[in-house]
Amino acid sequence: MFRHRIQNWEHLWASNGDEMQTNTPQYALNLFNLIPLDTKKHSWNSLEFSDTRPKSLMLKSGTLKPYLTAVRRTLTAAMCLENFSSQIVEKHNKPEVEVRASKELLLTPILISRNDKEKVLIESSINSMRISIAVKQADDLEKILCHNFTRFMTMRAEHFMILRRKPIEGFDISFLITNIHVEQMYKHKIVDFVIHFMEEIDREISEMKLSVNARARICAEEFLKRF
Amino acid sequence: MSRNDGRKDTSASAFRKIDVDQYSDNNFKEEDADGGVGAPTGPDENEILTLLSQYPLQSSRGKNAEALISVLKSAPLECKNQQIKDSARNLTLKVLLSIKSNQMDDCLAQLDRDLVDVLMKYIYRGFEIPTEGSSSHLLIWHEKVFNISGVGCIVRVFSDSKRA
Repeated sequence: MFRHRIQNWEHLWASNGDEMQTNTPQYALNLFNLIPLDTKKHSWNSLEFSDTRPKSLMLKSGTLKPYLTAVRRTLTAAMCLENFSSQIVEKHNKPEVEVRASKELLLTPILISRNDKEKVLIESSINSMRISIAVKQADDLEKILCHNFTRFMTMRAEHFMILRRKPIEGFDISFLITNIHVEQMYKHKIVDFVIHFMEEIDREISEMKLSVNARARICAEEFLKRF
Repeated sequence: MSRNDGRKDTSASAFRKIDVDQYSDNNFKEEDADGGVGAPTGPDENEILTLLSQYPLQSSRGKNAEALISVLKSAPLECKNQQIKDSARNLTLKVLLSIKSNQMDDCLAQLDRDLVDVLMKYIYRGFEIPTEGSSSHLLIWHEKVFNISGVGCIVRVFSDSKRA
């Protein structure tokens, strides 16, 4: 099924020509349009950004919307990163949230939970921040789908730019955003991307679950026809 | 002519493993000025619980707001003892969850800015121990507090070394 999806994506971007010779989808970058087309700095005045998501997503019931709003606001607040060279090694420049060399450079880690399964951990430091997401997994099938989905993405982490190759323990997927990313990309688009990702992964997994079940049913029917 | 005439032990390399950086004066030291006489011990549980239990007898603007104010005022932010912090967190969470969403605005109107910052810290702490329905209630709190203090109070939660 994953192969099938990859082919779909490739089909989507097949018109891009040379880039598509590599068989990795440019899913994240193209879909969310992360990279600004011009190098002109975006003004960072308004902190609440217009929601560009489709209406159907905004009207989702339950606690999803306040959850995503809280995550969006917290991410916006955490996105204040600046260049900072290593205090220990000359000419090194490392994400402090990963090396954890000095306590004064790390900020309070913040956890936002929707219930005991779905939560987001936001760890920030002077020049980098780490966002870890735990996805809802109701049964074993969802667990497998989620695992395969995140594995599919982490294996192609270089194309997602902000994706961390390995999730933090206890979470399913992690992003590592450094000051370089914030300088090269629009901050609010990065926030949008993470929020969009959180919406998408739930839907993607439940869709895949449905199609796995449908396929299993057809297989069983075909198989049992012989008896 | 050898520099260490006669001395055998030239292969010792233990000194290379000494972390000299730890002796630097520029290192960040966490002030551990805890203790002493005036050490904060956190809110008085009995007082808060009586304030909460008085609530049903009162009208809608009862003692819940008082309980919230007193629990936030006595928050042990400078305390280093994790146990005291945790019990204060549990108590604050109990107060937060007992205030219904239509009373939140009244309660928030009685808080000053510093207390709102403390409240935000406890909202984030409350997310760490999700129980049935607690997270959705805290999300409403988060939204209301954000509407009052904006991104600033989230940044202060991030950057304040006096953690809740």
